Amino acid sequence: MSSAKVRMATVAIGLLALSIAAVCTSASDAPAGGDLYQVKEGNKVDPKTLNGWKTWRALACERCHGDQQQGLVGPSLLESLKTLSKDDFHTTIMNGRPDKGMPPFNGSAMVNQNWEGLYAYLKGRSDGKIKPGHLYPMD
Amino acid sequence: MKRQQCWVLLVAASSTVTMASAADLETYASKPSNWAMQAGDYANQRYSELKQINASNVGRMQVAWTMSTGVLRGHEGSPLVIGDTMYIHTPFPNNVFAVNLKDQSYKWKYEPKQDTSVVPVMCCDTVNRGLAYGDGKILLQQADTTLVALDANTGKVLWSAKNGDPKIGETNTNAPHVFKDTVITGISGGEFGVRGRLIAYDLATGKRKWTAWSTGPDKDLLVDPAKTMTWTNGKMAPVGADSSLKTWKGDQWKIGGGTTWGWFSYDPKLNLVYYGTGNPGTWNPSQRPGDNKWSMTIFARDLNTGMAKWAFQMTPHDEWDFDGVNEMVLFTANIGGKQIPALVHFDRNGFAYTLNRDTGELLVAQKYDPTVNWATKVDMKTGRPVVDKKYSPATSGPDVNVKDICPAALGTKDQQPASYDRKNGLLYVPTNHVCMTYEPFQVEYTAGQPYVGATLTMYPTPNSHGGMGNFIAWDPNQGKIVWSKPERFSVWSGALTTAGDVVFYGTLEGYLKAVSPKDGKELWKFKTPSGIIGNVFTYEYGGKQYVGVYSGIGGWAGIGMAAGLTESTEGLGAVGGYKDLAKYTTLGGSLFIFGLPESSGSATTAAK
Repeated sequence: MSSAKVRMATVAIGLLALSIAAVCTSASDAPAGGDLYQVKEGNKVDPKTLNGWKTWRALACERCHGDQQQGLVGPSLLESLKTLSKDDFHTTIMNGRPDKGMPPFNGSAMVNQNWEGLYAYLKGRSDGKIKPGHLYPMD
Repeated sequence: MKRQQCWVLLVAASSTVTMASAADLETYASKPSNWAMQAGDYANQRYSELKQINASNVGRMQVAWTMSTGVLRGHEGSPLVIGDTMYIHTPFPNNVFAVNLKDQSYKWKYEPKQDTSVVPVMCCDTVNRGLAYGDGKILLQQADTTLVALDANTGKVLWSAKNGDPKIGETNTNAPHVFKDTVITGISGGEFGVRGRLIAYDLATGKRKWTAWSTGPDKDLLVDPAKTMTWTNGKMAPVGADSSLKTWKGDQWKIGGGTTWGWFSYDPKLNLVYYGTGNPGTWNPSQRPGDNKWSMTIFARDLNTGMAKWAFQMTPHDEWDFDGVNEMVLFTANIGGKQIPALVHFDRNGFAYTLNRDTGELLVAQKYDPTVNWATKVDMKTGRPVVDKKYSPATSGPDVNVKDICPAALGTKDQQPASYDRKNGLLYVPTNHVCMTYEPFQVEYTAGQPYVGATLTMYPTPNSHGGMGNFIAWDPNQGKIVWSKPERFSVWSGALTTAGDVVFYGTLEGYLKAVSPKDGKELWKFKTPSGIIGNVFTYEYGGKQYVGVYSGIGGWAGIGMAAGLTESTEGLGAVGGYKDLAKYTTLGGSLFIFGLPESSGSATTAAK
């Protein structure tokens, strides 16, 4: 990763999380301390976030939330993730919202393994930093 | 050039008297004025002896009457006609109307109350392939897996049976079929990890007679390891013990697909039911190593016991969703100077198979679209396709996009049925001319949720005529295309051949077309209000012949329109491929009946 691109990525993340001074220099594969997700060119992400996207894909969440998280019968996650805390996200995805028609996903091995990455992916989408559609590894 | 009319006489002579029988069905079906079975006859030939409408006068055909079905989305199948009554069915919610042919007034209506939660677990539109008749009853297979028998005169429910559970993704789209004293039906849900089976019910009472599972232990499969035969190294050999279990990893056969949502045919002399099974569950082949038997398989089963006489798997360890459920057309083959009781099957995988329907021997396996590329050929000794690794998603593995696989997952032909010409021994086949990109990925099974694991895009076959379909004539003895008529879109309707030397089919733009069996030349066409995915049928009433078809786009090809989907990879890839349909048609739901103009009288002109 060129130093110019590193600077751009740094600036983008810095704007988002004012308190985080993320100075990425050469370490591009591991998220820097405090970074929720790392993204390059909008669709190349760190391994944890990639697994989060794969979990989104595997559990067919788009059926209710839309393939761009924009909302269908379920709410827009682009909106919800602006205010939903990580803990509340965890509770919601494990228990579902039965009264609203969302099933619980605590029985899913992939969700249990990757829910944090899924949170990171959806936050990246909501932040407008991660593009909709197919994601790829960073290298 | 054998005539096939002896079917019914053989049955009448040899069938034993039971509580109920389909004797009245067989009597009605033997009269060309009726259309008493979805497939025309037990053999699925879709051929009518009627010839009042013929090649010389079909150009003058016009609308005789029309009727709205009152429902939108894909209209598959066709009505039945018995005597002076037509029986009409609709897509979900699967209404049934009995209509007086005299004046098109309703005799009775059956409007089932079904839970709409069934709709989201129907992968490929809310279609229903039609009704069956037998022993004074009209049979309807509802989407919610309720099989119901209605009194044909009053519409009253006589019995009903439940053959599945929509909560675990099980639904129905198939037409039930009456063979003698038995009702045969299947199950849908290959995209929901459903375990497929064929089910037989007693026509009189609705009691379950037998269930033949597609995957699992031998006792569930209704196979005899020593007696059920399969094509092995150039001859028939027993399938052996655990023929299914051996080809799955662990418990995966429990979500192993092999669903049975297509067509069923029957040979009353051999007493065998013929049908094919669907995809082996997930579309990500890496998750299910092994041949995945008996998905993608042609079965021949005894009507009374369900025991399999033989089986033939067409696409072992499927990597493309080439369901094997398309119709088995029974006919007499003429190969190597011998007359052989045979069946021909136009598989999704692009190969047309001719088999000896008595023994299960493989006779012919050839591409019925030359652009098919995932396999170079079928090895005639093993019966297995020779896969080209360039088009093998299993070889490149998950998360790798494989491009330009032909045909696309919806196959060179999907459920839209072909028709057999009794005069020249050819078949007229409605085909798709579509290719795909296919990227498999890891998925997890959750009961009642989709269990797919692949992203697809579909598009017209590249470097070809630019269209997405062909209507072809096929020689089942030699395995050759005789003529091929390109179409802008996939031909998704069922074909009909008549003794008047006319072949009918419908297009996705909504045209009902009449063409010449000699060369496919168009003799007549009419644009109906919506795309056609139904099966063309014909009957005679009051001394006059009529040809009819449902008009109402949907089905897998039309799923974008039917379900309001817009992303190109939605609808299992069909939304992008068929987006141009919106330029030509929109949703509809009607029945169109055509006939010759009043003034033409009965046709006595010599056929040209």
